Amino acid sequence: MNENRNLTPTLLRVGSVITGLLLWHYIANLVINDTAILVSPVVVVTKAYEMLVTTGELYPHLFASSQIFFWGFVLAILVGVPLGFVMALSPLVRDYVNPWMTTLYTAPRIAFAPVLLLWFGIGAGSKIAIVFLGCVFPILINSYYGMRVVNREYVELARSFRLNRWALFGKILLPASIPFILSGIRLAIGRGLTGVAIAEWFGASEGLGYLVFFAGQTLNVPILFVGVAAFALLGIIGFELVRRFEAFVTPWRKA
Amino acid sequence: MAGPVLELRNLHKELPRKDSEPFKIFQNLNLSLRDGEFVSIVGPSGCGKTTMLRVINGLMPLSSGEIFIDGKSAKELDHQLVMGFVFQGASLLPWRTSLKNVLLGLEGSGKSAGEAEQTARKYLDLVGLSGFESNYPHELSGGMQQRVNLARALAVDPRILLMDEPFAALDAQTRNFMQLELLRIWRETKKSVIFVTHMIAEAILLSDRVIVFSHRPGTIRSEFKVPLDRPRHMEMRADPRFLELENIIWKQIEEEVNSSGGFANQ
Repeated sequence: MNENRNLTPTLLRVGSVITGLLLWHYIANLVINDTAILVSPVVVVTKAYEMLVTTGELYPHLFASSQIFFWGFVLAILVGVPLGFVMALSPLVRDYVNPWMTTLYTAPRIAFAPVLLLWFGIGAGSKIAIVFLGCVFPILINSYYGMRVVNREYVELARSFRLNRWALFGKILLPASIPFILSGIRLAIGRGLTGVAIAEWFGASEGLGYLVFFAGQTLNVPILFVGVAAFALLGIIGFELVRRFEAFVTPWRKA
Repeated sequence: MAGPVLELRNLHKELPRKDSEPFKIFQNLNLSLRDGEFVSIVGPSGCGKTTMLRVINGLMPLSSGEIFIDGKSAKELDHQLVMGFVFQGASLLPWRTSLKNVLLGLEGSGKSAGEAEQTARKYLDLVGLSGFESNYPHELSGGMQQRVNLARALAVDPRILLMDEPFAALDAQTRNFMQLELLRIWRETKKSVIFVTHMIAEAILLSDRVIVFSHRPGTIRSEFKVPLDRPRHMEMRADPRFLELENIIWKQIEEEVNSSGGFANQ
C-alpha cells in the first residue's frame, strides 16, 4: 500500500514526460511534417548536442543569460527582502512606498525595457535592471506579507518573555517569515527568466533570449527549441536549488 | 508570616468604544496570592478571567488599579521575568525543537549557553520529556506540547505561574493525567499559581482556593477554600465534600449566566 503510494507519483511523472515527448514526436513527424513549423524532440536533442559538444556555440549564450539572471535575482533579494520587512514593521514607510510599488508592479515590464535601455545602455546594466524589476516585487510582497501574518500568539509569547525588539525580530518574526520569502523567491525565478528573455530581445548580441529571437527571425526551428529548452532547464535548476535551500533552512516543515 | 507574592488592588479594565460608554471587562478586582498557593479562577465564559491573566502578565494595559509583586509595584518590575505564562494553545515555535522552545526565555537571561541548556534540559526532564529534546512540535502529541509549554514557563524560574486554560484543548483522559502531572510539578517547584479554567472539577481538584467570577463586567463573586487534603488524587472527585463544592460553584455560575441574559448571550 505504502510502496504503491510512493511509486504512483514517480510513475506518473516519468509517464507524463515520456508520453508528452512521444506525442510531440508524432505530431511533428506525422501531423505537421514541416520542419519550418515544428521539429521532433529528437531533432532538438541532436541540435542541442551539436551546440554543446561539437561546436560549443551554446555556452556563451547560456553563460550570458545565467549571469544576467543571477545578478538581477540577487539584487532583487537584497532589496526586496529588507524593504518588505521595513514596510511590514513601519506603516509610515509602507504608505510612502505603496503608490510607487503598485505602479511599478502593475505596469507591463516590457514597456520599461526601452526606457531602461536608454538609461543603462545596451550592456549588462539595462538587462540586469529588467530582470531585477521582474524579480523584486514577488519577493518584496511575500516578505512583507510573511511578516504581517506572523501568528499573534508568537508575538505575545515574546512579550511575556520580555524579549526586546531585536530578539522579537530575530527569534520570532524572521523565522516565521522564511517560508513566505521562499515562495516569493520561487515566483521570482519564473519572472526573472521572462525578464532575461525580454532584455535580450532588445539590442543584445548574445544570450538565450537573443538566440531564440534570432532563430525566430531566421525560421531556424531546431535552434529556437534548443533556446526554449535551455530557458526551461535554467528554471528547473533554480527551483531545485530553492527546494534544497528550503529543506536546509526549514527542517521543521517536513511533516 | 511573609506578605503575599501577588496582590491585585482594585483592578479595572475597560475598552473604549466609539459613540458609547466604554466596554467594561472587569472591575474592582482584589486578590492576594500567598507564596506557594494554587488559586483557580472559574466563571461564565466572557467574564474577563483570561483578560485578567493577560493584564497581570503585562500583555495588556490596565485601566486603573495596581498590581504588587512581593510588595513592589509591577510597573517597576516590568522588565524582569517574575511571571511565567502558560498559554491556552501551546504556542510552541514550530521551527524550534522542544529544547530550543524551552530555551527561548533563557536566551536573554545572562546565563551562559551551557548553563541555559542545562536548565532547559532539567525542566524538560521535570515535565517528563527527557528524550524528546530534539523533536519539533509537530512531532509531539497535544499533551506533550503542553508539557513543553509548561517547562518553558517554569524554566525562567518565575515567582508566579499564570495558566490560561492550558488543558482545555486536550481529550478528557489526557487532561486528567496532565492535572495530576501539574500537581506533582507544582509540589516539586513550589510555585505560586493562578489557574484560569472553565471546568469546575478541575479547579477544585488542583487548587487551595477557587474564586468564582461574576458575569461581565467580571468581579469576584465568591471564593472557596478547598476542604481536601494534599496530595490530591482522582478518587477525591467522588468525595462528598468535593461534590458539594462542585454543586455550589455550579449553581453560582448558573445564576451568573442567567442574570446576564442566559446562554443565548454568551
